[in-house]
Amino acid sequence: MYCVIHCDVRRMVKTNEGSPSKLETELRRGALVLAVLSQLRAAQYGYSLRQALAEQGMPIEEGTLYPLLRRLEEQGLLASDWRIEDGPPRRYYKLNAKGTRLLADLTANWQALVVAMNRLLK
Amino acid sequence: METQAIIDDYVNKVAAKLPRRLRNDVGVELRTLLTEQLWSAAQEAGRSPDSTLAVDVLRRFGRPDEVAARYAPRGFQLIEPEYAPVFVTVATCCVAIQWGVTLPAVFSSRMTLGDWWLRWGLSAFSWVGFLVLWFGIASWIQRRFPVDPDSGRRPWTHWIFWVPFPGEWRPGEPAATEWRAGLNTAPLGAVLTFFFVAPASILRHLLPAGTDTSWALYDGRFQRWLLAPLIALMALRLVLLAAAALNERRRARTEALRFGLWVGFVAVLYWALLGGRIFAHVLTDTLFKAWLLIFLLVNTIQILVWIRRAAIRVRMPEPLARR
Repeated sequence: MYCVIHCDVRRMVKTNEGSPSKLETELRRGALVLAVLSQLRAAQYGYSLRQALAEQGMPIEEGTLYPLLRRLEEQGLLASDWRIEDGPPRRYYKLNAKGTRLLADLTANWQALVVAMNRLLK
Repeated sequence: METQAIIDDYVNKVAAKLPRRLRNDVGVELRTLLTEQLWSAAQEAGRSPDSTLAVDVLRRFGRPDEVAARYAPRGFQLIEPEYAPVFVTVATCCVAIQWGVTLPAVFSSRMTLGDWWLRWGLSAFSWVGFLVLWFGIASWIQRRFPVDPDSGRRPWTHWIFWVPFPGEWRPGEPAATEWRAGLNTAPLGAVLTFFFVAPASILRHLLPAGTDTSWALYDGRFQRWLLAPLIALMALRLVLLAAAALNERRRARTEALRFGLWVGFVAVLYWALLGGRIFAHVLTDTLFKAWLLIFLLVNTIQILVWIRRAAIRVRMPEPLARR
């Protein structure tokens, strides 16, 4: 499952392989899905999610984030519904059971990766 | 209102490039999100939203066709990247063979270069189209029915259509997998060998009495000169498979013989294809030869791949080899 999502994210990258800025972007994109899933334990709509991520130091271009939400939903990881509260109709996204399980798996993988990388980079 | 018109126009352009089922839903969501984006940008800039700011937000969001591509469901690759080199090789070989076989007619003045180009030169490229379709179907079959990662077995569906790669693979004796695949097809080989001895007579026994089976009669010349060697080669291959099945240790020794039989069989079939009629009946002969041509092309490619694989050996890099 992770590969499917990761490949989707990779597809959006127009690679100029080898250039430092592109490698940096690739590195960030690897963490993008996990970052998004982590913020969807509570329902969010596209713009509020982008704000939440930016406030915590993970700014993501809106042109990347909004289509990603759709694809995660199509992959059966998110549930969504339209809501009209104080403003225009907004589509809210939230982790479903499958997404919650995946988030737990990815979090464990990420933590192991961080430990290993820290050891390597010492 | 002017800014909303700019956003609406942009959203319509994106929606026009989306699949019908996504168009409305994504369009409404995108309009809301972009409007909020615009208001936020205006707030940050400390002014009211205007057309300049709207255009700026949209430019940052991306070109409509790029945005639509990000929303659209994932497409598929007609030819998987790992098959691309094989595809290029096979397509180049097919075009080169057609040119190589037909060009001598120009040099022997039986045809002008212009006539050759219109009749054979250009039509050689239809092989590329045929192969795109072939590899496309093969790729689809492999995606739909993948090879079992644990056993390495190819599902039976791979045999409906010739799927070039990957073959069955498991660690072990190099030729064992090919032998196993050969053994799987042995019963079919035995039935075909028996059938091709005298198809018309066998059909006469199988079909209701009085059915005309003369369309399955061999051409006299083919029957006299080529049938016996072909049947002998087919039967020998079956004997060899049976021997290999009974005594696994002999597999390596019989490998060269098996390859020789295969090459011999293909060579006799080429002779039959090019040397005249196989069946006495014209329609049977034409249809059989059309199938035979494809069969021979596939087998020729397989033989070339086999030879190439056999020739590839990992060698020590030069500086290490000298030590």
